[in-house]
Amino acid sequence: MNSRERLNLALNHQEPDRIPFDLGATVLTSIHHKSYTALRKHLGLPEVEPQIVDIFQQIVTVDDDMRDLLKVDVRDVAPRSSATFHIDIKEMEGYTYFYDEWGIGWKMPKEGGWYYDMFDHPLKDAQTIADIENYPWPDPVDPARFAGMAERARRAAEVEGQAVFMGGLSAGIMEMAAWMRGFANYFSDFAINEKLLVALMSKVMELKMAYWEKALAEVGNCVDAIGEADDFAGQFRMLISPATYRRMVKPLHKQLFDFIHARTKAKIFFHSCGSIRPVIPDLIEIGVDILNPVQVSATGMDSAELKREFGKDIVFWGGGVDTQRVFGSGTPQEVSDDVRRRIDDLAPGGGFVFATVHNIQGNVPAQNIMAMWDTLQQYGNYPIARRND
Amino acid sequence: MEATMNELYDGIINGDAQEAKEQVQSALDAGIDPSSILNDSMVKAMAEVGRLFEEGEYYVPEMLISARAMQSGLAVLKPLLVQADVKAVGKVVAGTVKGDLHDIGKNLLCMMLEGAGFEIQDLGTDVSPQKFVDAVRAGDVDIIALSALLTTTMPNMKATIQALQESGLRERVKVIIGGAPVTPDYANQIGADGYAPDASRAVALAKSLLGA
Repeated sequence: MNSRERLNLALNHQEPDRIPFDLGATVLTSIHHKSYTALRKHLGLPEVEPQIVDIFQQIVTVDDDMRDLLKVDVRDVAPRSSATFHIDIKEMEGYTYFYDEWGIGWKMPKEGGWYYDMFDHPLKDAQTIADIENYPWPDPVDPARFAGMAERARRAAEVEGQAVFMGGLSAGIMEMAAWMRGFANYFSDFAINEKLLVALMSKVMELKMAYWEKALAEVGNCVDAIGEADDFAGQFRMLISPATYRRMVKPLHKQLFDFIHARTKAKIFFHSCGSIRPVIPDLIEIGVDILNPVQVSATGMDSAELKREFGKDIVFWGGGVDTQRVFGSGTPQEVSDDVRRRIDDLAPGGGFVFATVHNIQGNVPAQNIMAMWDTLQQYGNYPIARRND
Repeated sequence: MEATMNELYDGIINGDAQEAKEQVQSALDAGIDPSSILNDSMVKAMAEVGRLFEEGEYYVPEMLISARAMQSGLAVLKPLLVQADVKAVGKVVAGTVKGDLHDIGKNLLCMMLEGAGFEIQDLGTDVSPQKFVDAVRAGDVDIIALSALLTTTMPNMKATIQALQESGLRERVKVIIGGAPVTPDYANQIGADGYAPDASRAVALAKSLLGA
C-alpha cells in the first residue's frame, strides 16, 4: 500500500495498514526551524540550511531524507507569491519587519522572537465598501503562483505514490478580514459594522475562488486534500457566538466549499483552532470533510468525545499529541502516553491522519518528537490494539 | 437624574459609544457627582457585561463594543474624577510578556479592569521582565497582569516573577496571569498570585486580591 492509497482510505473512513502520518504537508502540521534543526542533529542527519516555507511561523519544508526516515505520507503543493511581490525584510528598533502581499505589516523581536506577528493593518481605517473595492488586492491568478505546481503534484502522486495536499491562496475569509482591519476593528465590525465586514469577507472569498479555479485546473486529479482555514475560537469557547457565525459567515463558507467541491474530488481540509465544538455540525453540513488541528486541550474538544460524536462524518487530521500542555513541557513518557491515548481515541475505523495539534513549536525537544514518532510506529498499525483490550 | 443614569447604563450594555458619551455629559449637567456616575452606572454596567460574557450570552464583539462605549464615557468623566480626587480601586500594570506580540486578550483585560474602577498602566506587548520591574519601582502599583498566547513565550511569565524577586519588589505587588496556554497549575508553579481564564474573571480576581 503506498502513501496515497493509505491516506485515501483514511479520508474515506476506512482502516488502511497503518495510520497515515503528516509532517510538513500543510503550514499547520509542520515544524519550526529551531526544533527541525535540533531533530536532524538528534537523528544524525546531515546539517542543512532549513528551507523556511512559511516566514510568518518560521516553519520549514521537511527534507526528503527526514521524510523517508520518518515515513511521512503526504506532500505539499503550495502556491507561491505573485511575480511582482518579493518580501523585503527591514529593521526597526528591536524588530525585523516586512509587509506581505496583502499590505499587512509583520514584525518579529530581534531578541527572543519566535515568529512574525502583525503590527499594521492596511484597512484599519476603512469606512465604506468602496474602500474595500478600491484596495489594491493581490492578483490571485498571477501565473507565477502556479509555476511548477502541476508537475510537483503529478510527480508526488504518480511517481512517488505520495498523497498530495494543496494549500490555499491565503488564510481564511474571517482571518484575512481580521488581519486587514486589525483585531479590535474586526471584532467591533461583527457588532456594529456588519455590512463592511461581510463585504470584506466576500471580497477575500472572491479572490479565493479565482485562485481555486485555476489551481484545481492545474493539478487535476493529483490532489487528495485541499486546505482552507478560519480561526474563530479561543481556549474555552468561541470568540464570536455560534449564532453570529451562522448568520454572517457560514453562508460564505458554504459558497466557497460548494465552489471547491464542484471542481475537484479532493477532500476539504478545514483548519480551525480552539473550542469550536458548537459549530462542528455546521461545518460538516456545509461540506468540510477534514478537521484540523483538533485542539484537544481546548474546552469541549476531548478526542474521544469528538470521535464518538462526529467521527463518522468528519476526518480528524491532527490531534495526535497535545502540543499545548504535553508536547513541549512533558517528559518523553508523558508524550508517549498522550500519543497512545489520542491513537486509541481517534484511529479506530479510519478517519484519522496523524499530525500534531498545529505546528511543532521551536521549543519542543527532539526526544519528545521521537517519543511521539516511536509511539506512532508501535501502536499506529491497524487494527489498533487498544489499551483496554 | 435616574433616567440619565439608566440610559448611560443601557448605552454601555448595548455598546453604544455615542450614547454613553452623551449620557455622561447629561449626568454631569444634571449635577450628578462624578464618582456616582462612575460607580453607580458605569461600573455596574461593565459588571453586567462581564456577567453576560461569563454566562455565554456575550462574546468578544459584544464585550468589546461595550468596553469601548464605557471608555468613550470615561474620556468625558476622567478629568472630573481627577479634579474631585476620586481614588481608583487599585493600580494595575498590564502587558504581554517578552517575545509575544498578541494583544487582544490583554486589551480586553485592561478595558474590563478600567470599567471596574481600576487605574491601568498598559505596557503593551513584548514587554521585558525589566520593564515590569521598572514600572513597579516607579511606585504605587498593586497588581502586575501578565498575558501570553504562546507556549513558547509563557516561560517569560516565570522570568518576570523572578526578576521581581531579584529586585526585591515581589512582595510589593500581586501578580496575575492569563492567556490561552496558561493554567491554574502553571500559576502555582511559578509563584503567581492568581490566574483567570478571561478578562471578566480577571476583574473578580483582581478585586479579591486587593480585598476590594
